[in-house]
Amino acid sequence: MEYVVRLKDLVKDYGGRKALDGITMQIEEGEIFGLIGPNGAGKTTTLRIISTIIKPTAGQALVCGIDVLKAPNEVRKLISYLPDEAGAYPNLSGEEYLKLMASFYFESGKGIGEALEEGRKISGLGERLKEKSSTYSRGMKRRLQLARTLMVKPKLAILDEPTSGLDVTHAYHLRNVIREYARTHSTTILLSSHNMLEVEHLCDRVSFINEGKLVESGSPQELKSRYGARNLEEAFMKVVGVA
Amino acid sequence: MAKEVKDLLRDPKILVGMILFPALIYPLMGAAMSISTGSVIETASANMTIYMIDDDGGPLASTLKEFFRGGNFTVEAVEGDPASMAASLHGGDVLIHVPSGFSENITAYRRADIGIFVNFKEFSIVEFIKAGRAEGIVRIFEGAITNALISNAFPNAKAEDILNPVKIDYNSVIRGEAQPINPEVLQNTMRLQGAMGPIVILLVLILAMQVAATSIAVEKEAKTLETLLTIPVSRLSILFSKLIGSFTIAFLASVATVLSFSYYFTTVLGTAAVDQGLDLSVLGIGPSSTGFIVLGATLFGALLSALALALTLGTLAQDVRGAQSLVGVLMVPVIMPMFFIMFGDMSSLPAALQTALYLIPFTYPMLASQALFTGNYGTVFVGLAYMAAFTFVTLYLAAKVFSSERIMTARLSFRLGRIKR
Repeated sequence: MEYVVRLKDLVKDYGGRKALDGITMQIEEGEIFGLIGPNGAGKTTTLRIISTIIKPTAGQALVCGIDVLKAPNEVRKLISYLPDEAGAYPNLSGEEYLKLMASFYFESGKGIGEALEEGRKISGLGERLKEKSSTYSRGMKRRLQLARTLMVKPKLAILDEPTSGLDVTHAYHLRNVIREYARTHSTTILLSSHNMLEVEHLCDRVSFINEGKLVESGSPQELKSRYGARNLEEAFMKVVGVA
Repeated sequence: MAKEVKDLLRDPKILVGMILFPALIYPLMGAAMSISTGSVIETASANMTIYMIDDDGGPLASTLKEFFRGGNFTVEAVEGDPASMAASLHGGDVLIHVPSGFSENITAYRRADIGIFVNFKEFSIVEFIKAGRAEGIVRIFEGAITNALISNAFPNAKAEDILNPVKIDYNSVIRGEAQPINPEVLQNTMRLQGAMGPIVILLVLILAMQVAATSIAVEKEAKTLETLLTIPVSRLSILFSKLIGSFTIAFLASVATVLSFSYYFTTVLGTAAVDQGLDLSVLGIGPSSTGFIVLGATLFGALLSALALALTLGTLAQDVRGAQSLVGVLMVPVIMPMFFIMFGDMSSLPAALQTALYLIPFTYPMLASQALFTGNYGTVFVGLAYMAAFTFVTLYLAAKVFSSERIMTARLSFRLGRIKR
């Protein structure tokens, strides 16, 4: 079976500090996959390697069978990445920003136009899209970024803490958009979060990551049953031996 | 590339600070100077009252009064102690004291004293100009007296020949041909016209480096870099877009500054600096089209290497302020050649300093701008080959940094004095 993401013994060493220590995992097509762990566990490092931003010290990372080290430009055509702290160009309006980003993925005006329309819908920002992004609230900026990530219809959307720091209204909107988008477009989504309750409601499968190692994987239901936990948070605490 | 230019031009800091401000500042300065100069000239050329204490009462004191009247002065006779009288006048008012024996001394071929008292209250330009006007009339009077005295003593001679018995015929031999030109005028003209080249080159280099060095820091500060690095565009395309974007902004800023400065220089100052000098092209030492091509080539090479260096260095900064501090380090090798070449002569420098300057690629555009007038292209052609190699190496280094994760992770630690990853 061809996996959308396949990691084999991935190691990342930041000059003596091991951020990843032999990560191995696979993600199937159409899955919403959650990478869960506390701050500093290695979530962002894993996502950055898959996104071709940084290189692994050892091991292999494949996206749709393409090695991120050998053909990063090919991988970039298949993915769309939403960093934990993403910004837009402050002197461009939300709409100009979406159009600009779409132009990197599509050559024809039609393709750009369709992506822009999709972006408008996903963001739900309406007329505010015509205003400069520097005037947006944190929640609006995050909606714009999620729209930018998904509007290009990537094979793999990588979302780093997509709802972190947002109020309940914006977080609720974003979760619905992600769930709905994955269902209607069969896009594979890899997201990281330290909000385990959110992940429980959103993901088909999750992996617990702690101190650079994957410590457990499965569907939220499986993990809860396996550890006799009421929720993923409790399951995680039992896995890492705290609870 | 379009994104780079568009985003840079929409940045108010760049649009206002680097293009609009330089474009407007010189005309505004000129306008302010014109207005104040105009009012000063008006005041200074208007009818002015001169106060005179005539203790002489002789014929030459009367002649002096006539000279003042002819120079648009109203002469008002006063009496008393000159210093106390002058102190009671308005600011800028001038009192002339003609002491007793003034006329007698002059007619007896003895030097005669005359007192000029200027009451300064604000030390303004107007007060100084009024003082100058009064002295000017006294000098004209003195010249007329001198001529009259010489004509009386030597009826067959010209007063001017006695006053200036030696006349110098200046000749400057240029490219083997003698030209009736004062070397001082030639030097002033060449210095004036030759200085513009290095100044403009320096300006272009500094502006371009600032834009380039901050371009990655701006992405880091706006949190757009991570996204930029994952879009399906090669890292080399990003590097070249940033190079071209920085170059475009630097070019626009330089054009705005040079046009603005030229306007200020020629129109507002009204000095017509070039008019005062000479047409160097007529003398065969003006800039040639070959000279401009060589200058363009060296400038292009210097710009590319400066931009590549600034971009690479800029990746080490975490924010715009950090990038600006880092680019300050590059200013030293950019400014050094300009000073040595503008104010000195490369061949007269110590060998070690010459070598250091020849190793700096930014030296060659300066030498090329000088060669426009001197025609000494030998060193410049060798420099072009060196610059090509230097530019290639800096671009290669920049490409390596852009293709690696260092663009995200590199930090320059001043405390430890080394690069952290």
